[in-house]
Amino acid sequence: MKRLWLAFVLVFFVVGCGTQNENLAKGKELIKSDKRRKEERAVREFKLALQQPIDNAEAHYLLGFYNSQEFYEPNTTDWEEASISERGRHMFLAYNEESRKYLERLIFETLRDDDLDIQNAALEALKRVYTQGDRNRLISQLQKAIKSGDNRDRHSAHWVFGHLGKDDPSTLVPILVKLLDHRRTETRLNAVKALGEIGSEEAIPALAALIESGSARWKRDREEPEVRQLAVESLGKIGGAAVPELIKIVENKGSSLRVDAIRALATLGDEKVVAPLLDALKEQSSRDVLIPLN
Amino acid sequence: MLKKIIRLGKLRHFVGILPLFTLVFGFGCDNRHYDDRLQMEVQQLDSDLMNRWATSGVVVLDVASNGPAHKAQLETGELISHVIVEYPVKSAGDFNSAMKKALDEDNNLILYLKDKPPIRIALRRRGDKMGLSVEGNGTVRVNQIRPGTPAANADIQVGDIVEKIVDERNIYSLADYKKTLGKVVKHNLTFRTSELIGVKIAAVNALGDLGDARALDPLIDLFQNSHEFSLRKAAISSLQRLVELSVLNDIFQEFQRENVNQLPADSLQANQLESAAILGLLTVDRVENTATLKAPFGTQFRHRSEALYRSITEGQIAELAQQYIQIQVEPEQEIRRACLSILGVLKPTSAIDALVTVLENSAEIPGIRFQAGLALSQIGEPAVDALITAFEKEDTSTKDIAASALGGIGGNKARDRLISALETTDEAAILLTLVDAVAKIGDAPSIRALERQRERYQQDADSGLRIFLDEVFSNLAKKTM
Repeated sequence: MKRLWLAFVLVFFVVGCGTQNENLAKGKELIKSDKRRKEERAVREFKLALQQPIDNAEAHYLLGFYNSQEFYEPNTTDWEEASISERGRHMFLAYNEESRKYLERLIFETLRDDDLDIQNAALEALKRVYTQGDRNRLISQLQKAIKSGDNRDRHSAHWVFGHLGKDDPSTLVPILVKLLDHRRTETRLNAVKALGEIGSEEAIPALAALIESGSARWKRDREEPEVRQLAVESLGKIGGAAVPELIKIVENKGSSLRVDAIRALATLGDEKVVAPLLDALKEQSSRDVLIPLN
Repeated sequence: MLKKIIRLGKLRHFVGILPLFTLVFGFGCDNRHYDDRLQMEVQQLDSDLMNRWATSGVVVLDVASNGPAHKAQLETGELISHVIVEYPVKSAGDFNSAMKKALDEDNNLILYLKDKPPIRIALRRRGDKMGLSVEGNGTVRVNQIRPGTPAANADIQVGDIVEKIVDERNIYSLADYKKTLGKVVKHNLTFRTSELIGVKIAAVNALGDLGDARALDPLIDLFQNSHEFSLRKAAISSLQRLVELSVLNDIFQEFQRENVNQLPADSLQANQLESAAILGLLTVDRVENTATLKAPFGTQFRHRSEALYRSITEGQIAELAQQYIQIQVEPEQEIRRACLSILGVLKPTSAIDALVTVLENSAEIPGIRFQAGLALSQIGEPAVDALITAFEKEDTSTKDIAASALGGIGGNKARDRLISALETTDEAAILLTLVDAVAKIGDAPSIRALERQRERYQQDADSGLRIFLDEVFSNLAKKTM
């Protein structure tokens, strides 16, 4: 019986070795090595790997991850930076081959990278997923990320939401608004930021309600100060129809966010702001008020 | 089995405690209170505001008309930060009860003695003795001071007449407010309100950024009448910004006349274009030859520019600045500096005398005197005579600043005076400035004069002036290349 198992393992091993994409393996080896111009040479291997019938998804992903347009040829100095959109396209092609695996990898791994170009390439790929791939799955993964306990995931998700939302606010703004009720403060915080970056006027009522909750009678109804403060900033980014809401905050003398609202209004340059600001100047200075009780 | 029962038992207790817990911590944090006696509603200040600005208290939300709060002219939005209660002292009994009430909780009080400034007395611990006893009816006098007590350390003598005791309490929360007001039944009380300076400063800054003419008078009013330095400083900075914006009117009128947000860059005044770009109002693309107003501010400001320009030129801002550049009028140097900048931008000839006074004032900070000289050189030709007169003065600094300003203005008259001074002066400190000023003018007679100086000091290899002259000539050579 034991021998039979060994035989099975051996057969699988042999079959496995035979079906491995050699160029891909070589490229990955190169990356791990400390050879000169290793990334360029690895990219060359990844490109060659694409000509083989297996493991194309990973080759595409790595081509997007490592900067390549004109790959390395021995004895040449030519090296052209790949455009972000080209790198994003490769990442998207990886997604096309193995959508589940690479969607998760893009959101929870690639976006975390320190290299801004890699982050932008991943964003580019996700934009393509949004328009050409499984949009619902993308949205649900982004929601999972923004609800995550890991700050990096929440940050990535708000950033992607902000960019995707600019092109399709009517779908994404309601989703983010719903997230404003999430139990995790940091999730709400990132949703507020994303709404500001989208800049859609659709978000104004929800943000205004959140800000106003600061004056709620009961503590449980009051949103955290930092979230409310960010909501004011977001209203400032939205501008336009948000101006009256910001003015309302300036006029609410019990609000702790008046300074934030004034700052947001100053950058918008709207002349409607002048009158409430002049009113604020007229407010009483420090003084002693005698109250006769007898 | 037994364990299970115990566990269930614990759970039962917990279930019992839970609603109570929620009631206290979840629902119990009411932040509003209607004061029946004063007939007004107050709200506790947001805790985040407390942390940000180190202010505390309760905000007046609403005042019922004709109630005590309304009669006292307390306004909505005011922040009550202290409650002050006065206890008149007419007998030894009054004194003892007032002292007990005033020391309660915060362990300190303010004692008012006849013909003496108020004395603040604080006890270290609750229950400590103040060490003071009094006697009398109608007129209450100090009859004993125990050594080693807070009273002995204060400026109190036996025989002093006690007039009243004042209790001043910080209000940190709504609970403090309710507690303090609950104790005061018969006596008059005073609310001390705190101005939220942060809001006003933000509003002042925003008004400066917005460039609206309506802000001018309120800002001047605030600048002249506020007692808060931070507010006055913000107000003058905003006025400075408005002045800087107003002098760009020509350029904004071009955009307004054409009713566009983009114009060919070479059709606009070069120096104004540069200033507008520095202030972030527009972007200039030399390759495309375009000047584009930045949205939202630049594009909106073109509609307001004319009104602002008119208000500034017709208003009193130049006179105001002239007044506040004098150290006798304005002790804060930052404000004097801002006023000098305003004069430099507006260039009013009426300010020449005032600027020369600052320039000549040896009690003034050298940097500010120099800035006055700079403002005079910005005024230009009309200031030349006044600067030449200042240059004739004995004081070296005055001579130095005046020479430098004359060099900045240029023109034949300034040049001739500087050259003649260069050829007759031996004072090393002034000579350097004169060389620099003449080099700044840089026309043919100036260069000839500098060459004569070079010959004069040729033998003197170590002289600082010689080294400086060499540097000046090498810079001139670079320019002509």
